[in-house]
Amino acid sequence: MMNLKDILSPFSAWRNLLKEPVTIKDPLTERPGAPRYRGFHKNDIEKCIGCGTCETICENEAIDLVAVANVDTKNGDSGLRPLVDYGRCCWCALCVDVCTTGSLTMSNEYTWVSNDPEDFRYIPGVDKKEWDNNDLGWKKPDYTLIPTERMDMEEMEPSEREGTFLEIVRGYSRAQAEKEADRCTECGLCVATCPAHMDIPGYIRAVREGDMEEGLRLLYETNPLPEICGRVCTHRCEEVCAVGHSGDPLAIRWLKRYIADQVPFEEYKRILGITSIEENGKKVGIIGAGPSGLSAAYYLRIRGFEVTIYEAKSKGGGMTMYGIPKYRLPMNMLESEIGFLEEIGVKFVYETRVGEDISFDEIYKKHDAVFVGIGFEKPYKINIKGEEQKGALQAISFLDDINKGKKVDIGKKVAIVGGGNVAMDAARVARRLGAEVYMLYRRRVEDMPADSEEIHGAYEEGVQIIPQTIPVEIIGEGGKVKSIQYLMAEMVPDEKGGRPKPVPIEGSEQVLEIDTLIGAIGQEADYGFLPQEYLDKIETNRGRMLVDNNNKTTLDKVYAGGDAVNKTADAISAIADGHRAADAIERMLLV
Amino acid sequence: MENFNSPQEIINFAIQSEQEAHDFYIELAGLVKFNELKVILEQFAAEELGHKTKLSKIVVDTEKTGLTAESVLDMKMADYTVDIQTKPDMTYQDLLTIAMKKEKKAFKLYTDLAQKITDQNIKEIFLGLAQEEAKHKLRFEIEYDEYILRDN
Repeated sequence: MMNLKDILSPFSAWRNLLKEPVTIKDPLTERPGAPRYRGFHKNDIEKCIGCGTCETICENEAIDLVAVANVDTKNGDSGLRPLVDYGRCCWCALCVDVCTTGSLTMSNEYTWVSNDPEDFRYIPGVDKKEWDNNDLGWKKPDYTLIPTERMDMEEMEPSEREGTFLEIVRGYSRAQAEKEADRCTECGLCVATCPAHMDIPGYIRAVREGDMEEGLRLLYETNPLPEICGRVCTHRCEEVCAVGHSGDPLAIRWLKRYIADQVPFEEYKRILGITSIEENGKKVGIIGAGPSGLSAAYYLRIRGFEVTIYEAKSKGGGMTMYGIPKYRLPMNMLESEIGFLEEIGVKFVYETRVGEDISFDEIYKKHDAVFVGIGFEKPYKINIKGEEQKGALQAISFLDDINKGKKVDIGKKVAIVGGGNVAMDAARVARRLGAEVYMLYRRRVEDMPADSEEIHGAYEEGVQIIPQTIPVEIIGEGGKVKSIQYLMAEMVPDEKGGRPKPVPIEGSEQVLEIDTLIGAIGQEADYGFLPQEYLDKIETNRGRMLVDNNNKTTLDKVYAGGDAVNKTADAISAIADGHRAADAIERMLLV
Repeated sequence: MENFNSPQEIINFAIQSEQEAHDFYIELAGLVKFNELKVILEQFAAEELGHKTKLSKIVVDTEKTGLTAESVLDMKMADYTVDIQTKPDMTYQDLLTIAMKKEKKAFKLYTDLAQKITDQNIKEIFLGLAQEEAKHKLRFEIEYDEYILRDN
């Protein structure tokens, strides 16, 4: 029931009718905003990565990403910073809430007088303001608009892995993939970092929308080996993922694999629109069927080139076929992708080693262009005493034998020398064969060049890593490896700022009894196939061929890519090389 | 053991050693198949000539030789790597191994000479030369560490 107060109280406001407004009576007294007021924007320029998620979410289009002085574009940072337009902003703070790094905040300042309307378009953090050091105001809240945890990938338990080469990673279901894809902000920082510049936000969107055919088309625009990359890519894209600044980065590699796994190979031609190829009459010879050669072959073939790949081994894939263990990359995936290339007309000449079964000169003369993708297949020796004995193996040939299905007797105790991905593969394969495995690495575990997930996998599977060890002699008995002697190393800082140097500690000798020693310290290219007259014209730097921006070598009409060219030594860089060379060969021969 | 009667004779001996090292690298450059390695060997050779010139400028009739004893990092790679035979298809790994072992031998030679001589001035000259060789060896060891042992 209504009482008298309810009736009279609205009229009490009339008492203020003749009073002067507070803004006229007391214009200069500051009235601070509430501690969490959404006032003017601030931005921590060092923390900001210019991902543009703030710009995307702004309903009023009040934010533009612009280039600013003294901030350079680098991996994981677009070099752009948000400019805010207060003619449009409604201070809803969604930009702050969604900011992937938490760099964008709002102060609780809300008064700003200026006669120049341009002043109200400014770059927070760059255009200095008096509220820049004001700690109060609105900050990224505890809740998050982007889920921080990635969708778990189901894996085979470490205890189940001994004795089997079945694939460890099971792959996402549709629901899992779509949920993971939902976390992507489509900022595109990953595109710049990916050596092949794949349209990552595009194919993740295709996953989200359930359009696998569009996803496959987007993958093949820049990468004709998505099954391979979806499993073993070094995924540098994930290292720069904006979402990774406040949680787990997107599982980009697994999403790529998800798309490739969904589409049957027999549908590829139709989906990719390669139903007929118009021949252009030009011939390209490719040496080596590794990722760079296969990539060059695909992009050349779909443009009408007659492409022939010369491969020394009996199957294509290069290191991905012979070097990567099948628990990481099942052979049928590789064979299917290579089969698709055969289906569109790429000719494979297997078991033909250039320089032995066919001369380089012949290939050079009968093709309009040549692509060299020979990889790094010649291992560096450890170069210590005793390496010539039985039981001292090289990781590359060990992995090759295992992938070919050969039986390799490694005994019960194995030492691996090295700390890169090849060493990890050798160690994990040796564990699967039931051996007790020790890894001798000269530096600290954190210095290992292997991917962190490989190191993690090795630990999970029981590989014992002995860091800061310098092998000095392989001791044998009757011509067979018996033990390895090593020295412990101390890490001495490099005066010039390089990696700390491992220096042996005198008197720290240790001996490890072993049955097999596997060297995995690195590889180099084998140029034995090149006659001297060509060798003289191909410039190299520390064993890698020098190429220009088109992947052209210093030898006329010869292009090159993959490990024998780039230092990153991964499949995705090789694929990018092949694509770039194919574009350049097309320009050279057809334009 | 060489017998030296004066500091100048030591310097002359060192100069001759550097010339021999230069000739060795030039000979090797004529042997290898790769242009890149030829260029590197010619660089090595040029550096040995540089050392020779540096030694030639030392004025031995004063007490100062311009060579100072300082501690140089020894990664000891030359100690445990095996000897390499020179051959036409030598690799970069082979060249670096040969070079660091050669520098190690030179270091050891000068250090041994210094130990066996009582004249303080001459001793210092030897130790100074040994330090120079140690620096050259470290350079090759760092190169080996960075490019050959990149996965180790």
